Amino acid sequence: MSTKNKWVAGIIIVAIVIWAGYSLFSGTGSPSQTSSGPIRIGFMGPLTGDEASVGENGLAAVQIARDEINSAGGVNGRQVEVIAEDSKCDPTAAADAANKLVNVDKVTAIIGGLCSSETLAAIPIAQAAHIPIISYGSTNPKITTAGDYKYRFVPSDNLQGKFAAEYIANTLKAKRVAILYCLSDWCVGLHDVVKQRLGELGVSVVDEEGFQQGAQDLRTQVTKIKAANPDVVYFPAYTGETIIGLKQIKQLGLKVKLIGADGWDDPKIPAEAGSAADGAMYVIPANEQLPQSFIDKMAKLVGGPQLIAYSPRAYDILKALAGIMQSVGANSEKINAALKNNFTYKGIADTYTIDQNGDDVTAKYIIKGYEGGKIVELGQ
Amino acid sequence: MGILNQLVMNAIIAGAAYAILALGFNVIFGITKFLNMAYGAVAVVGAYGVFLFCRLNSLPLWLGIPLAIIAAGIVSYLSDVLVFRKLRRRKATSLVHVVASLGLMFLLQAAIAIFFTSQYQSLADQNSPASVYAVAGTFITSVQIITVITALAVLFGLTLVLKKSAFGRAIRAISDDEEVSKIIGINTDRIISITFFLGGAIAGLAGILVGFDIGIFPTMGLIFLLEAAIASIIGGIGNVYGGVLGAFLLAFAENFGVWKINTVWKPSVGIGLLVLFLIFRPQGILRGVSKK
Repeated sequence: MSTKNKWVAGIIIVAIVIWAGYSLFSGTGSPSQTSSGPIRIGFMGPLTGDEASVGENGLAAVQIARDEINSAGGVNGRQVEVIAEDSKCDPTAAADAANKLVNVDKVTAIIGGLCSSETLAAIPIAQAAHIPIISYGSTNPKITTAGDYKYRFVPSDNLQGKFAAEYIANTLKAKRVAILYCLSDWCVGLHDVVKQRLGELGVSVVDEEGFQQGAQDLRTQVTKIKAANPDVVYFPAYTGETIIGLKQIKQLGLKVKLIGADGWDDPKIPAEAGSAADGAMYVIPANEQLPQSFIDKMAKLVGGPQLIAYSPRAYDILKALAGIMQSVGANSEKINAALKNNFTYKGIADTYTIDQNGDDVTAKYIIKGYEGGKIVELGQ
Repeated sequence: MGILNQLVMNAIIAGAAYAILALGFNVIFGITKFLNMAYGAVAVVGAYGVFLFCRLNSLPLWLGIPLAIIAAGIVSYLSDVLVFRKLRRRKATSLVHVVASLGLMFLLQAAIAIFFTSQYQSLADQNSPASVYAVAGTFITSVQIITVITALAVLFGLTLVLKKSAFGRAIRAISDDEEVSKIIGINTDRIISITFFLGGAIAGLAGILVGFDIGIFPTMGLIFLLEAAIASIIGGIGNVYGGVLGAFLLAFAENFGVWKINTVWKPSVGIGLLVLFLIFRPQGILRGVSKK
């Protein structure tokens, strides 16, 4: 190619790229919301990666809600369409997912993410486009002050951490506690709250060991914790590292009570860890007794009885959004205003009361545990 | 001093796994002189091979494991025949080889994730977990003992091959000077491809052992690659004994480096050690091979 032709080709390519970028992203600011045709709602969650079983479970619940809404005539005659994006429990992937939902799919609202790191990454993007984002599983305290367009149908970890610390101190009667935690927003948030509350209750934290999210080898951490001789180990972590940690704790002969956090509500953990998981327990927000029709539909959709605690909340979010849109229309700003206005909603999992910061202030927790490869309820 | 014993034991276990990885990495590096980023992914192929043969198709272990090792070797062999040999023909620089290997790494990882999902899986049967033995106040499992023995066996076997066999002599000749080796009649392409097979098989073996110890997921290859590369560089790149020394040094540094500080710093100890060596002794503990 001669030099002149190369220049011409180069200019044409640059022009195409600029035009494509403009037409794709010109929607930032206020999405062009049509008043007819399907209403588009975005869903963000980990559909691949370590937390995929939890994310897919949540998506299934949202799809059930969508089908129920649509078969009852939709919202003001318009069908609801759910566009799902994979955020991989990773902030970079979550930012990409949010960008696509906001700028390319031009959704009216976003249900998501699951992991706190996902939601924290997505909130600024949704905020810039004035689109409400409602999480069904992100509990990190930092989310409370993260923006004006964010809400969650789960309580903040300020409350979960307090409950866990009080349970450790008062029910388990521990005097020496070690904390083994992953280095993602969610784990670090819990670590901070629990450590502080334990200090207030007069329980000493004898060792704290951190590890990268997705770490493969926790032997050093477990060895050091064993040497510190705790009564209880508080172990907030995601699925993969929990399975590895439980196995290595058993291998290294660390015999203590293990208590984890809401991320442990994944049936994969006791299934893969086997006997190493027996006796371990964790804190999880309580759900009301779910209607049998929902349980049956979930069982059919996911091919088994797996029902993870946050999935019915995702169902509730879509149903709540449908209710709001029925009265104010499919307009993001009006939906946001409705959510800010002392919003309460009675869903199948819980009765939610959303405060001025977008947090759900109702917080009831229970303890579940692992026994014989399965999750069992242990009460309070 | 119970914790001291266990830390030593942990270092030996980790060092053994790193040593096997470094051995395979060095065998390939010695002959091709570039940082093969797909190496870690080949180890993962071995681990998932066992998953495919033994867990999904119920083959017995004594059949599934050798099959998986051969599969990993074949993947490595093909990476040379299909990609690297063509680059060598065109006299491509090391950088080009590294970029190509990076692409291969993503390809392999993605293929594994597509077929097996990217979720964590267990390789060992969780209903019969590995038996734990108490040794001098420390705990070690049967899988970990096998890893240590295997590391020694591979080191011994590889040394034998490299020193005593015609194949080994050919490898050393090519490693010394590829052009001259061609002139004296060595079929360099064939020897290099077989070396890739050998290195890949060793990687697969390491992947299988680690998989039985902790489980498998597609992105674990990155950690394998990092440990193998650091161990090889600080031990003397291209030198198989150096790789083993470097592996154990790395493992001990990682485990003891965080004895008194929060273990969040564990990954940075390995990198810190690498930086120290690159500044003060770039040729490694034992002098490695250098690019002409």
